[in-house]
Amino acid sequence: MRTKWLALGLAVLFAAVVAGCGGSSGGADVIKIGQAVALTGDSSMWGQSEKNAVEMEIAKINAKGGVLGKKLQLIAYDTRADATEAVNVTKRLVGDKVVAIIGPGQSGVAIAMTSVTEPAKVPFIATTATNPKVTMDDKTGKVRAYAFRTCFIDPFQGTVAAQFAVKDLKAKTAAIIYDVGSDYSAWLGKYFIEEFQKQGGKIVGNEAFRSGELDFRAILGKVKGSNPDVLFIPTMQKEAALVMKQAADLGIKAKFLGGDGWGSPDLVTLGGSAVEGSYFVNLASLDDPDIQTFIKEYKEKYKSDPIMPNPVMAIDGLYAVIDAIQKTNSTEPAKIAEQLAKTKDLPVLSGKLTIDPKTHDPLNKPAVIQEVKGGKFIFKAKFVTQ
Amino acid sequence: MFIQTLVTGLAIGGIYALMAVGYSLVFSILNFSNFAYGSIIMLGAYIGYYVLMHMGVPLALSVLISIVGAAMLCFANERLAYSTLRKRNASSLYFMISAMGTSIFLENLVYATIGSRFYAFPEILTQQNVSFGGVSLGLLDVFAIVFSAVAIYGLHYFLQKSKTGIAIRAASYDMQVCQLNGVNVNKVIGWVFLLAGALAGISGMFLGMKYMVYPTMGWITNKAYIAAVIGGLGSLPGAVVGGLILGVLETFVSAYVSSVVRDVFSFSLLVILLLVLPTGLFGKFLEEKV
Repeated sequence: MRTKWLALGLAVLFAAVVAGCGGSSGGADVIKIGQAVALTGDSSMWGQSEKNAVEMEIAKINAKGGVLGKKLQLIAYDTRADATEAVNVTKRLVGDKVVAIIGPGQSGVAIAMTSVTEPAKVPFIATTATNPKVTMDDKTGKVRAYAFRTCFIDPFQGTVAAQFAVKDLKAKTAAIIYDVGSDYSAWLGKYFIEEFQKQGGKIVGNEAFRSGELDFRAILGKVKGSNPDVLFIPTMQKEAALVMKQAADLGIKAKFLGGDGWGSPDLVTLGGSAVEGSYFVNLASLDDPDIQTFIKEYKEKYKSDPIMPNPVMAIDGLYAVIDAIQKTNSTEPAKIAEQLAKTKDLPVLSGKLTIDPKTHDPLNKPAVIQEVKGGKFIFKAKFVTQ
Repeated sequence: MFIQTLVTGLAIGGIYALMAVGYSLVFSILNFSNFAYGSIIMLGAYIGYYVLMHMGVPLALSVLISIVGAAMLCFANERLAYSTLRKRNASSLYFMISAMGTSIFLENLVYATIGSRFYAFPEILTQQNVSFGGVSLGLLDVFAIVFSAVAIYGLHYFLQKSKTGIAIRAASYDMQVCQLNGVNVNKVIGWVFLLAGALAGISGMFLGMKYMVYPTMGWITNKAYIAAVIGGLGSLPGAVVGGLILGVLETFVSAYVSSVVRDVFSFSLLVILLLVLPTGLFGKFLEEKV
């Protein structure tokens, strides 16, 4: 008898909880913006900064009266930068009836998410997912209708890095160390090789490692033997710092070069003196004069620097979504997606955003080359897509 | 290149050995894999990093504080997560589940309180190299090898000569008989966890100095686990040998085959070895364990 009552009680409680959820999510006076972002795990540093930035911006917009007379509500879920987890998170966001999703920051995660967003007809705007396959379906060769991004793509980034290596660093030979478990890393390495060879350079080493690797001395021993002018390391800052540290220990003389994955102050903290004089391609820079107001606000609110470049790319995405809502005067995800593809000369944090309707990639997005000098990232050169 | 690879492999293997000994110690008494050990190593590294960087404690003292801190955490881990199960005579499967839970709990606790950032120790030892005959080895590696050897020998001496050590060895044969002979098993188990924790503190400091400090760094104990199994679970000399073999094998595979297939080799070795020698190299199956 007692168990019966307990079961009944639990059922009532459960029903109340479910009803409660239904009640709170059914409000029509808010516009829900989803965010698929890595809040835990190795990429969480950028993810948390992304979430903070979007939260801060939404609070500002709401204080000014919101969009279409409605308040914006952010629903951010943790992807842990993991493809499987991201698919679950995206399903939840679709279920929550968000109008669009900001993020993710990782290419592999974004590609996995398209399996949910395309059939559900909910657009997402990736922040730093630079792999071409994020917005282009390579099976059909067509653009994915609900996938967008605010960052440049890897072929461009790889090209920029290779051209910089040949023209500015006067490199004739190069070696690559890449993460075989990351689409970002593997493809960026590939694009670098293509352009470097096109420029007349020679690839003397191409070494792979698995995600989570800590000790690179065995493969670096091989690299040392081939004595390259440039060592291209298209990885995240953690692996890059370890590779450079261990390369310096082994006495490798090559110049180190990397991609936007390096763009975090951690590169210097972790790599110490070994990262001095290295170069990398980035999406945005802390010393960019256009974003100083944002950086000041962020610092005041969160007592730390935003971890570049993700927060800037996320806010650009938010602006693009708001613009699409205003232009279509609708909160219908499919209509927003249609409008996103037509985004033209929209003032955003990183400058002006124009989305190419053929690829859903931004046009004329500048890439900056930064040098690590005195423990700081110094602006070195700027390239613009054609 | 061959000698260089061998030396690098031994340096990596030294740290595996240290962790594997800690693993084996707990296994020999309670007969379960303490999966929370990796998290204790991680916390040991955080403690050492904190006192060194934020309290201005000198390096040698911060290593000591890390050892004491990790030992206490490991002890608390046993008292909170395992002793109740022990009193209820739970099977080792439940110990393992409890250990996994503790590990996930501790990792996420660090995420939630300290955050997910990576921290690096200052470059005190890492930038210096020792060269002999064309082979270069970081000073930190030399230090790690020597320190690991001293710690493992110290442990061995303690287990052989001290009264507590004898009690631990006795308990590893048969806990119940040991109890009947008037040994306070609770106290013995406490000691085992303190000792394993001390080794975790040393490993954590070396891993942190060599690589970096971050919440998931404890995952490297997977390797220590393999090393312990290769050497024979519960056998301390086995753990040392297993650790060295694994470190050298991995480095050679990375250098001569590819870093990508390294873990394929490590785990294949484990499977093949278990097929041939089910109790590992030094395992004597419930005979002389410690």
